[in-house]
Amino acid sequence: MRRRWVLGLLLGGLLLAALWGGVVGEQSHLLLPFLRQDTTWQAIQQRGLWRVGLDPSFPPFELLDATGKVVGYDVALAEALAASWGGRVEIVAVGFDSLPDTLKAGKIDSIVSAYPFDERLTQDFLFSTPYFEAGLRIAVQAGSPIGRLADLSGRAVGVEWGSLGDMVARRLQREGMEMRLRSFETPEQVLAALLDQQAVDAVLVDNVSLRQVQASGLPLVAVGDVLESIPYVIVLPLQATDLQQQVEAALQQLKSSGTLAELEEHWFSGQPAVK
Amino acid sequence: MPVLDKTRRQHYDGAVKRLRTWQRPFFGLLVLLALIALGVWRMGGERPGVSLGPQQRVETTNPKTGIHTRLTDEVEVWKIKRTLEMVREMGAPWIVEYFPWAYVESEPGRYDWTHADHVIAHAHRQGLTVIARLGFVPQWARPKDTTPLYLDEENFDQFADFAVKFVERYRSQIKHVILWNEPNLALEWGYAPPDAAKYTALLKATYPRIKEIAPEMQVLAGALAPTLAPPGDEFAVNDLVFLQQMYDAGAGAYFDILAIHAYGWHFDPDSPADPEVVNFRRTELLRALMVENGDSQKTAMITEGGWNDHPRWTRAVRPAQRILYTLRAYDIAQAEWPWLEAVCLWALRFPWDQNSYQDYFTFVRTDFEPKPIYWEVQRQTRGELP
Repeated sequence: MRRRWVLGLLLGGLLLAALWGGVVGEQSHLLLPFLRQDTTWQAIQQRGLWRVGLDPSFPPFELLDATGKVVGYDVALAEALAASWGGRVEIVAVGFDSLPDTLKAGKIDSIVSAYPFDERLTQDFLFSTPYFEAGLRIAVQAGSPIGRLADLSGRAVGVEWGSLGDMVARRLQREGMEMRLRSFETPEQVLAALLDQQAVDAVLVDNVSLRQVQASGLPLVAVGDVLESIPYVIVLPLQATDLQQQVEAALQQLKSSGTLAELEEHWFSGQPAVK
Repeated sequence: MPVLDKTRRQHYDGAVKRLRTWQRPFFGLLVLLALIALGVWRMGGERPGVSLGPQQRVETTNPKTGIHTRLTDEVEVWKIKRTLEMVREMGAPWIVEYFPWAYVESEPGRYDWTHADHVIAHAHRQGLTVIARLGFVPQWARPKDTTPLYLDEENFDQFADFAVKFVERYRSQIKHVILWNEPNLALEWGYAPPDAAKYTALLKATYPRIKEIAPEMQVLAGALAPTLAPPGDEFAVNDLVFLQQMYDAGAGAYFDILAIHAYGWHFDPDSPADPEVVNFRRTELLRALMVENGDSQKTAMITEGGWNDHPRWTRAVRPAQRILYTLRAYDIAQAEWPWLEAVCLWALRFPWDQNSYQDYFTFVRTDFEPKPIYWEVQRQTRGELP
């Protein structure tokens, strides 16, 4: 009997310690959701402003216009999300590598800056679902018989020398795929080799470069699966679960209504603003 | 479950019955914990079966080719081995590797050489020449609330003690050590002001002690961060200024080889040397200072450097440029700089992704997938490039 008491006390103590750690510790998102407070979301509501950090040096996602104003796909996306809860956006320009620390320090509420999902940061931040896939694609001319990775066998494939596409193509060759690899110095030259010169049958290119070409009306299509995924996501403070819900709900709404695709199309095609 | 004979089954059933109902979950938990502990043990530390393998030697057309490895936090021995194999297979005979004092001597006088032993043994077996960088101060050798890069002058002898221990242990396998790193940056002194006289005092405290026990050991100094910091800057001293200040403080008699950091930023390697520009040929300006100060008989080594191809970093270049510039840099070292012994660019591979522009300095991904730059350097060292 005495043993049971001791055991019960021990377990009870452990449980209390875990709960306390869950409320005040870094893992506060794990336990006792009814005691947790999202101070970020509360502050956004009080201010009426969502402070979004981004590095305005990555067109078309974020760039400075002729007047020095920060514009781009990410800015438009942030504004559309904020509008869903009746808020406005304050853009805070931060160097790309400093964005996580700036968020951690509470100087911004979120990162919307073509930020690739990083599994290792899930202990520090919350993430939205992806809103853009920037990873490696197989691109071909519309109407090409190439429809999947295996179809590259025996074909001439273009890559940017030294790029991720080059790395993957060399790996495929090592694994036995017999394709003729042609290297070019820039992504523009790679795509030109496919479109203008027809010097290659397909190219391995990042989806940002590909979307820019597609949006300009050239007849290129992506086929097959993404070869190396680089999903862009919105990054949020670890305790900002309410904000995460708001962002996620709004993002899904933008996706289902077609607004997200519209924003993407406008910014990749070089239009200055969404009409 | 294997078939049990009658006697053993009775014994087993009896044992199970003896466990009271409420005890069984705890017994199960104990078994589970033991299994987890076994799994953790299997995942970390040395795995049985990671042998040194046969003695190798590096085949290369450019014996000055080198690379900075980053094995400091690489736990698994097979990864240490694979990393060093890949250096050899790339055709690079030289590596720079960091051996943190705090990792080896976390308590005064208690040394744990396990990790360093693995690195040195595997590097040696791969036929590589190791340039060992020493630094990173244990807690006991610095005031509380300082970073592991902080070291007061009164503790320089303790650093020297560690350097001596290191050299004593590895002198049969290592011939080069670098004392400290980028001493012209406040960051590298735990945010104490960078001071050439103080760094020279560190050399004076350490160099004679190393030479006393291993006269053949080549001691590298400098490893200055290339920077255009203006006079009076809080965080950095211009590397050209700092090197001259070192000579003025008498450092010339306390090192054998100058370690140089040669980053190209967005300049090609043939951009001319200019005191107002950080580029690869800034190396020549540091060499000129050596000559001016009577050190023309000494050699130099590039122990960090190279180009970065991050898509968003302002000092980066395109991947194709990075390859061309890197190949040219190795060529320059071999063809034009007879006073330079090795070019160890930053960096072969990290144990894990840094998730910053740093990842775009590497030649091999964390999953050991070689980047194209790795293959191109290999082609160069095999003489396969036109």
